[in-house]
Amino acid sequence: MHHALWQSVLGEIELSVSHATFTTWFKNTELVNNDESGVTISVPNIFAKKQFEVKFNDQILEILAKNGVSPKRINYTITATGKRTHINRETTVNRSDQTQTAESLLPSSNSTAYQTKSPLTAGGLNPRYTFDSFIVGSSNDLAYTASQAVAANPGVKYNPIYLYGGVGLGKTHLMQAIGNEIVKNQPGTRVLYISSETFVSEFLDSIRFKKKGFSEKYRNVDVLIVDDMQFIAGKEKTQEEFFHTFNHLHQNNKQIIISSDKPPKSIPTLTERLRSRFEMGMSIDIQMPDFETRCAILKAKASLSGIELGQETVEYLANNIKTNIRELEGALNQLLAYAEMRGISPDISTAEGLLGNVRHSRPQYITSKQIVEKTAKHFQLKVEEVCSPKRDKHIVVPRQIAMYLLRSELHMSFPKIADELGRKDHTTAIHSVEKIEKAIKLDYLVREQVASIREKLYA
Amino acid sequence: MELSVTQDNLAKALSAVGRVASSKTQLPILGNILLRTDSNRLLVAATNLEIATTQYIGAKVLKPGAITVPARLISEFISNLPKESVDLKVVGSNLHIKSGKYTSIINGVIADDFPELPTISEESSISYNIKTEDFKQAVSQTIITTSNDSTRPVLTGVYWHSHEGQLILAATDGYRLSERKLIDTKSEVSAIIPTQTLQEVLRSITDDSQEIDILFDETQVRFRINDTEVISRLIDGNFPDYRQLVPKTTSTNITIDKSDFVRITKIAGLFARESGGSITLTADEAKKSISIHSIASQLGENTSEASADVAGDGQVTLNSRYLNEALSVIDGDSVLFSFSGKLAPCVLKSADKNTNYYHIIMPLKS
Repeated sequence: MHHALWQSVLGEIELSVSHATFTTWFKNTELVNNDESGVTISVPNIFAKKQFEVKFNDQILEILAKNGVSPKRINYTITATGKRTHINRETTVNRSDQTQTAESLLPSSNSTAYQTKSPLTAGGLNPRYTFDSFIVGSSNDLAYTASQAVAANPGVKYNPIYLYGGVGLGKTHLMQAIGNEIVKNQPGTRVLYISSETFVSEFLDSIRFKKKGFSEKYRNVDVLIVDDMQFIAGKEKTQEEFFHTFNHLHQNNKQIIISSDKPPKSIPTLTERLRSRFEMGMSIDIQMPDFETRCAILKAKASLSGIELGQETVEYLANNIKTNIRELEGALNQLLAYAEMRGISPDISTAEGLLGNVRHSRPQYITSKQIVEKTAKHFQLKVEEVCSPKRDKHIVVPRQIAMYLLRSELHMSFPKIADELGRKDHTTAIHSVEKIEKAIKLDYLVREQVASIREKLYA
Repeated sequence: MELSVTQDNLAKALSAVGRVASSKTQLPILGNILLRTDSNRLLVAATNLEIATTQYIGAKVLKPGAITVPARLISEFISNLPKESVDLKVVGSNLHIKSGKYTSIINGVIADDFPELPTISEESSISYNIKTEDFKQAVSQTIITTSNDSTRPVLTGVYWHSHEGQLILAATDGYRLSERKLIDTKSEVSAIIPTQTLQEVLRSITDDSQEIDILFDETQVRFRINDTEVISRLIDGNFPDYRQLVPKTTSTNITIDKSDFVRITKIAGLFARESGGSITLTADEAKKSISIHSIASQLGENTSEASADVAGDGQVTLNSRYLNEALSVIDGDSVLFSFSGKLAPCVLKSADKNTNYYHIIMPLKS
């Protein structure tokens, strides 16, 4: 359970320091030991060690104490973990493309001597992400099925496959699962997983330092997986380079997998030719998981840690954290770590006590008034306008969305919903709710709007 | 903080330290230089979290304190000042600089946010004192064969280790290898120093430095040249057992004048640009000569010959750049070049019997 304890420490520190500080110092750290002699934390290098000893020690002690651990002292040890998140085979690949190659001095059997301890396998894939560990619900079954089809026949069906959706909904998990599955089925396939940010910075480096081998690296793969494509927006030259890479791979029937937080159409400053290419394969969105899926995720994660959670606890967590799977996992980890430290069972009362922390900033109850207000605000309308008898189109749709939300979030009766928005007839409410329910299935714009209002409600 | 220093000292310290500061990292403060008083001295320091360089200069300290300021701006400002004394004063998070008629206010960041600089304990570590000349030569002889492939971190540095009572430097990128014996040692050392660190140390060497102090502990190394210190992490991992790769016997052994060899290699290289530097060397015992042949299908071809002492006929294809680089760091006027057929490693070293350096290149498969 060291990992869970450390995760809850990291979670709290991340809130108190800047993002840059957090990624600079706390990446590749781990709690490796916890006994009478104290707590041992592994850090990647001497600089981090000194920084932890002098600057973060007190804060870590304090947070550990909050989690029920009060070590005598904290020791810091230096361990090399994966220094680069993208470990790949390309460097050897592009050599073999030359007409002549120098025979390597070092026999390949030697390679075990310099493998890093990183869990990453070749190509930047994390073996933890597999299809088996992905939990399918109605919100993501299309994406799941399509991903499996791609993994079975890379480069043939759905090329490129473009997955989009909000943070923490499993895009990275699915993409990595495709990569892992392909490597498993066809060992020797060159899979490269990168974030678009890596692509951008390597591209800049290649220009700045006149490094060679940039385009070869990306063009000599069988499967290219690019995460968080939206970060390429506005970077014209990089987009052009990616465009050529894309064409090269696509022409040679190599599989391309892309993820982003928005559909290609909604990324501003994405050049037309890239947009049309992203749209030529299959774009699928991953939506927020419904209540049942959230429960299933929690149960699966808990049983991975070897702990059986009661149905009540699971439902309590799933009910209280709705927007993001990562947050859901965080709450679960915190609960498990807390229970373990205290030696109590992770039941509903523990969860209630603890979740007070997680969601302190959230309103316990949403009122109908809040829903109408937030909806009106989202569309830049006045509450009076939404509740007025006007039937202009720009008011009607927000009104219908407000009705839908009143129904879905508060389970209000139709007559009350109608009353809330100044309608006389409850059939108007029934019609509106049905209309939005349908629209959510068909229209991305509506779906996105409903999701973002919902996010604001719970924020 | 309030103090006075000479322009000369400050400019030198800033230029020695400032190279390490980089604005490319995620942490913006790493683009800054740390200025901190230490009794009657001023510490000037920068780090990129792989390397930290520090230098102390004498100062008249009126009020102790510390500040960090953008490296480029302050270095360039100070270096353009006339050689007079410079007054530095911290007001809030700004640094006021005054020298004669010149005044500047630089917006800084408080020093608390600057990463802690690692320290190394002198008692629990191994120390060496090496002549600057030897250090320079040994490092430049080995650094050329380090790899820049980040997937094999252990190859991206020079392996400093003790072997049979000597401190030895070795480096390989998988296609070539170099080894240099530096000095006698009684201690056991095994450390891989990042290429970037060694380059930084080479740059820090000035004309007036005679010796370099090197201090190793398990995870870090410190170099001291005069008042400048460079502290760096070491690369974690095991360096491959390279000694088994060195051929024990060779079938073709050539002794050749170095300048002749360099000339024909360079000429042949001109015609090898299309083919990735590939040149073919033929040694002829009867003719007492070595000839190099290279072809560029678009441009033409070339054959150059030089006389040499040859024992055993043979032919081998190499990358001309690798050969050139090797020849440029080998000592002495004549070179011993040995190989065994087209596939086995080639060995290059000075013809001098007491040489402390050898260089190995793998042939190209044609």
